[in-house]
Amino acid sequence: MKSLEERIHAGVPLDDIEIIDLHAHLGPHANLHIPAATAADMVHAMDLCGIDRTVVSATLSFEADFVAGNDMMLEAVHAHPGRIYGACAVNGNYPDLSVAELERSFARPGVVMVKAHPWYTKCALDDRRMSGIYAFAAKRKLAVLAHTWLDGDPYGSMDLLAATARRHPEVHWIMGHSGGPDGSRRAVEIAREVPNVYLDIALSMCPARQIEYFVKEVGAERVLFGTDNPFIDPRPQIGRVGLAEIPLADKVKIFGTNAKRLMGF
Amino acid sequence: MDKLTYSDCYCSVGRVGWPILLDIPDAAGLKREMAAAGIERALVSHALARSGNPGLGNARLMTEIAGDPDLDPVWFLLPHHTGEMPHPQRLLEEMKIAGVKAVRLDPGRAQHGFSLAEWCSGALLEALAEARLPLILDADIVTWEEVKSILDPRPGMPLIMANCSYRHNRYLYPLFERYPSLHVEMSRFLGAGTIEDVVRRFGPRPLLFGTNMPRYTGTAAVARLAYAEIGRADKQAIAGGNLKRILGEIWR
Repeated sequence: MKSLEERIHAGVPLDDIEIIDLHAHLGPHANLHIPAATAADMVHAMDLCGIDRTVVSATLSFEADFVAGNDMMLEAVHAHPGRIYGACAVNGNYPDLSVAELERSFARPGVVMVKAHPWYTKCALDDRRMSGIYAFAAKRKLAVLAHTWLDGDPYGSMDLLAATARRHPEVHWIMGHSGGPDGSRRAVEIAREVPNVYLDIALSMCPARQIEYFVKEVGAERVLFGTDNPFIDPRPQIGRVGLAEIPLADKVKIFGTNAKRLMGF
Repeated sequence: MDKLTYSDCYCSVGRVGWPILLDIPDAAGLKREMAAAGIERALVSHALARSGNPGLGNARLMTEIAGDPDLDPVWFLLPHHTGEMPHPQRLLEEMKIAGVKAVRLDPGRAQHGFSLAEWCSGALLEALAEARLPLILDADIVTWEEVKSILDPRPGMPLIMANCSYRHNRYLYPLFERYPSLHVEMSRFLGAGTIEDVVRRFGPRPLLFGTNMPRYTGTAAVARLAYAEIGRADKQAIAGGNLKRILGEIWR
């Protein structure tokens, strides 16, 4: 069999490695044209490169109507069992409705995670209106994926995520985008200090040697495969991990073992 | 499918004040990063030309990549009015002798402090168009109105837009319809299904392989193209064939 690197260069799906995408979305977005945004499109792209499962929240959920977004997410989970899983979107501006959405979504099979987007909702991670959401996640020991950015985000800064993660140690906190392209160094410092924080690699601006840096500084066990599909095509992210100069065992952990453990798949 | 042969149209060498993670101070470092991603050739500019001084950086670039058959120079230019760079016709002669394969302009107050408008850059743009020397512009710096203003009077001028993201299709598609000489390098042009959609609508012609190393990794763009759901010939055109064709038309 050809090596992992040779198969990526040849465009062969990595079917012998379990790949789980913990940071994906779904559907159209007001700000941009997405040629392949449906659930079926996403599963097709996953097949092309060998992604087994993906956890999605609908893009409608952030700037628009998070209930409509969760409806779309639940439809996709229902239509693609075993391939598409759900992240229930929450919005701290609607605290009671958010908890109701969590209860509605987690009553359905295949919903496994909570998604918060403080930048779009302009409700800070440490806003007290988020407390019911965090209580729900803590009670079930869930993972919360929160968008973070290094600079210019008063609602979802990396330090806010770190402080929130310290206050809610029962929750697994996935640092969305690991603070963006310029956030890698701060992301590592936080992950070293806060044990329930995980580093997400989903980005369109993919820093050179970021995967190697994360593995060296915090260990592969704390790094999670994510794509931002369909904002970003999932296929480039296969190359970032698969062609990184790290041991194969670490690639396997990042691609799927870590997510499997975290999600209980 | 055999591995594609890649020519990177957008990378740089040279130390920067604020590296994201990776710093590539010399050509040997760049070659190592290229090899790690499986990239064979590259058009290279020097970071000093961008963040220090164009003339100093261009000279440093020529020393750095001298004798390397896989690395071709890209110069940062300025309009001639202040005397920091020669008049465009003289500049063309210098670049031809130096083997320059493409140029970059960083207009605007926060960059190199000049305008792309005709009253400032018209003579330079005219000379570049005449020589068919590819011009690389950063989509984070220039506006789409500026792009249109450059190409309207010079519809055949090879123009490469760098740093286009998944948010740019609604601007780019109408420009692709108008200007066959407009290209996009794909380091950040990674929206879901976008490569396939562009190829279906316009063919592979608008797309060029690019990485923006050392800021970004080459491994993402390589995998995007390797896994693209398009024909092998179209993949190779994007990986390097389109750039080779464009470079073959310089100085003619």
